[in-house]
Amino acid sequence: MKLFYCLLLFVTPAVFAQKSIQGKVTDHRGNALPGANVFLKGTYDGGTTDANGVFVFLTAESDTATMAASYVGFEVFEKKLNLKESIPVMTIKLEELANELNTVVITAGAFEASDEKRMAMLKPLDIVTTAGAAADITGAMQFLPGAQRVGEQEGLFVRGGSGQETKIVIDGMIVQNPFFSSLPDVQSRGRFNPFMFKGTSFSTGGYSAQYGQALSSVLLLNTTDKISNNGLGISLNLANAGLNYDYANKNQSVSAVVYYGNLRPLFKLVKQNVEWLHAPEFKGTSLTYRWKPTKNGVLKVYGMYSDSHLSMNSKDPSSDTGEMRLVLKNNNAFTTSTYTDSWADGRWTLNSGLSYSRNKDNMTWDGVNFDRFDERTQARIVLTRLLTGNNTILFGAEAHAINIGNGIDGKMYRLKDRYTAAFVESEIYITRALAGRIGVRSEYSSVIGRANVAPRLSFAYKTGRYSQISLAAGQFYQNPDYRYLYLNKSLKYERADHLILNYQIIKNQRTFRVETFYKNYAQLVREFTGQRFDADPYRFPWGATNNGGDGYARGFDFFWRDQKSIKNLDYWVTYSFVDSKRLFQQYEQSATPIFISNHNISLITKKWFEKAKTNLSATYAFTSGRPYYNPNNDEFLKDRTPAVHNVSIQASKLQSIKGNLVIFYATVDNILNTRNVFTYRYTPDGKTRYAVGPQSYRSFFVGMQIMLSKKAKVEKDDF
Amino acid sequence: MKRLFTFALLFVLATGMVWAQNEKYTKAMGDGINALLAIDRSKPDPKALVEIANRFERIAAAEPKEWLPKYYAAYANVLLGFVAPTLTEKDQYLDKANALLKDAEGVAGKPNDEIEVLKAYQSQIHLAADPMNRWQTDGEKFQGFLQAAKSINAENPRIYYLEASSAFFTPEEYGGGKKVAKPMLEKAQQKFTAFKPESGIHPDWGKMETEWMLSQTN
Repeated sequence: MKLFYCLLLFVTPAVFAQKSIQGKVTDHRGNALPGANVFLKGTYDGGTTDANGVFVFLTAESDTATMAASYVGFEVFEKKLNLKESIPVMTIKLEELANELNTVVITAGAFEASDEKRMAMLKPLDIVTTAGAAADITGAMQFLPGAQRVGEQEGLFVRGGSGQETKIVIDGMIVQNPFFSSLPDVQSRGRFNPFMFKGTSFSTGGYSAQYGQALSSVLLLNTTDKISNNGLGISLNLANAGLNYDYANKNQSVSAVVYYGNLRPLFKLVKQNVEWLHAPEFKGTSLTYRWKPTKNGVLKVYGMYSDSHLSMNSKDPSSDTGEMRLVLKNNNAFTTSTYTDSWADGRWTLNSGLSYSRNKDNMTWDGVNFDRFDERTQARIVLTRLLTGNNTILFGAEAHAINIGNGIDGKMYRLKDRYTAAFVESEIYITRALAGRIGVRSEYSSVIGRANVAPRLSFAYKTGRYSQISLAAGQFYQNPDYRYLYLNKSLKYERADHLILNYQIIKNQRTFRVETFYKNYAQLVREFTGQRFDADPYRFPWGATNNGGDGYARGFDFFWRDQKSIKNLDYWVTYSFVDSKRLFQQYEQSATPIFISNHNISLITKKWFEKAKTNLSATYAFTSGRPYYNPNNDEFLKDRTPAVHNVSIQASKLQSIKGNLVIFYATVDNILNTRNVFTYRYTPDGKTRYAVGPQSYRSFFVGMQIMLSKKAKVEKDDF
Repeated sequence: MKRLFTFALLFVLATGMVWAQNEKYTKAMGDGINALLAIDRSKPDPKALVEIANRFERIAAAEPKEWLPKYYAAYANVLLGFVAPTLTEKDQYLDKANALLKDAEGVAGKPNDEIEVLKAYQSQIHLAADPMNRWQTDGEKFQGFLQAAKSINAENPRIYYLEASSAFFTPEEYGGGKKVAKPMLEKAQQKFTAFKPESGIHPDWGKMETEWMLSQTN
């Protein structure tokens, strides 16, 4: 009996005959995975694979056990083993988890700049460090492939589209007045500070069914949700002075900005081609509030108000003196609030928003009233459902109430539009290498009493670890310009059909991208005045109108960016070619529109000097000649302006002064003082031609930003 | 008498098995921790780190009620997130560390300063992988986790070590540098001197690094 107890005592620490388990771990192609963890679940028994993916370990388990194999970036493998039997040498194949190298992303027509996406071709901070962009969002977008530069007008001109064919969208909400009030032959800046946004996505066409009312492109801006606690900051430059203050606690944050600007000092220093009677003077304020009421929920409220005052003598060949006196006072307010949340481990996501904007231009031309007024109230809701295998489906709807008023020669025209839209879109991964996005959008506009249905489609296929091809197609509708609708409410939607093919390869901080497109325009508005073509871009379209116009745009563009070859040097080159003709507006025959330049080239370089804490940037931009109307030429729009060249440089320097961080910056635009001409106009008798060029030729700008807080940490790309 | 003896023996055996199991766990953890300590901090060997991470993961799978194996597995993955050669690999390890930390948090059940500290360390290494694009988001996270750790246990020396190391590696122009870090390191050193880990297998790293950095500030 004693012997029995003794045996029992010896048996407990269990030194049964140990079994050896061995094999190999590979990926699905059979490549060895060194460092994989192979073990019996619930025991300490296991091992790590060696350089050849081979593992071997001993176990004392004698029953059944679950063997597991795990490797970072791969799905866990599990298998039941019966340890009573002998275990043969195993080969375990692991499946890779979806990651950005093995999963395709739909990219045709999309040019993304975001903090989060590692593959983003342009980061938000690139906007402010690009010479020639004047820290303006659309200014930087003009250097991207697919964009054409039109020096005397604001807006983004994309692939043969006019500036009105691009909508600017903040957090899903259309921005009614993204630019400061338009002036004759002066390009206005955007109202928004690039630092407000975490991501920018510039679409060159074929965009998602989530957006509408843009024949050419959407520029999607997503406000940052990061809560910063930078304290007080001061900005001072030749044109304005501002204060900004950030405060954040755990779940809430507030940022406030106030500024006052006056361009008089700058105009004293930089020779102006425009005769200013009252240099632009502006003041404004904005407030951002963010709140995280639940774990995933974020409420953002943004409000801004600005007003401005200016007066100038504008060239006007039709008046006796050859010029007209413009006085403009503008009030602009924009508020937007969005709420996003997600439930059920992210399977459901909600994006909703409410926004109101109001803009008033008190404007007189030689004392005659030309007031402009508009307001837009909009609501939007989008629900996204994440399905298995990363497939998603989303549903959404939006409603807008738009009121517009326009004074023409002292007479007020008014318009009311109630616009609604609904959309559904699904992203489907057929395999990790092949994905598709199918969507449809339907809209109704009360002002024309019409509805439309627009399908959108894109596909992407991964051709290699770093390369892919994408295809996008779709139909896009937009209401006719409101100026036509004042007199004719029976007009139809204008339409564009897009087809885009894209190839890109991104490897080791180098990007190559080529895209080719064909765009068909239909139902464009034509105007019949029974008179000669009138090239004045600011005329009121009083003629009879119908939707008999059409047109096309086709072309291709290249993009090459290299951030790797030379340390701290980043450069990119773009080339865009477009060929386009249209029969629209007052055109008597199909012709290349005046805003089209066939060739656009830009070369952007940035170099960071570590020791001097200085960033230098230089930009060269080339825009080929554009058509202009010559009343003395029998052929319509056959004349071309000379090409536009611009070389600009920018330097920014970081300096710590008594623990406060100061950023100094200086830029010189058009350093070669090229006498660029954007277009030509003629006096009514057709005898005298005059040139429309930039507001100034060579110009410079200096300023600084002070952060009065030790908390403010700034890295090389933060200015 | 014989029956009593049998009972006593059985009792001893039963508790002995529990004790043996416990000892096995403590020993396995201790071995893993010693292996971690043996790693050359100035030039960590990724292979050895993977081995250690795997070891802790196996213990974690066998001891689902313990948070420490998950914690150490996460710690080894954070170190791997620092030494891995490419951004993609770094992020894979760091994502894994995050998942393990989430598990550890669930097992620990209540707020735990060591887990918050490791989360802060994870954000710091995540930031270091791509500073230009991450400094802002990760910087905020780093501060937030340290704040949370402080509110649980302000005496945890690793909080002050991480704060000091962040300052130490930030260039002077941006408000950092060795001068700024020195008093912070001294504070961390004080906290380390006063610190007694709960057991031989509870977190006790950072002292060596603090001392090395301090030696660099003179």
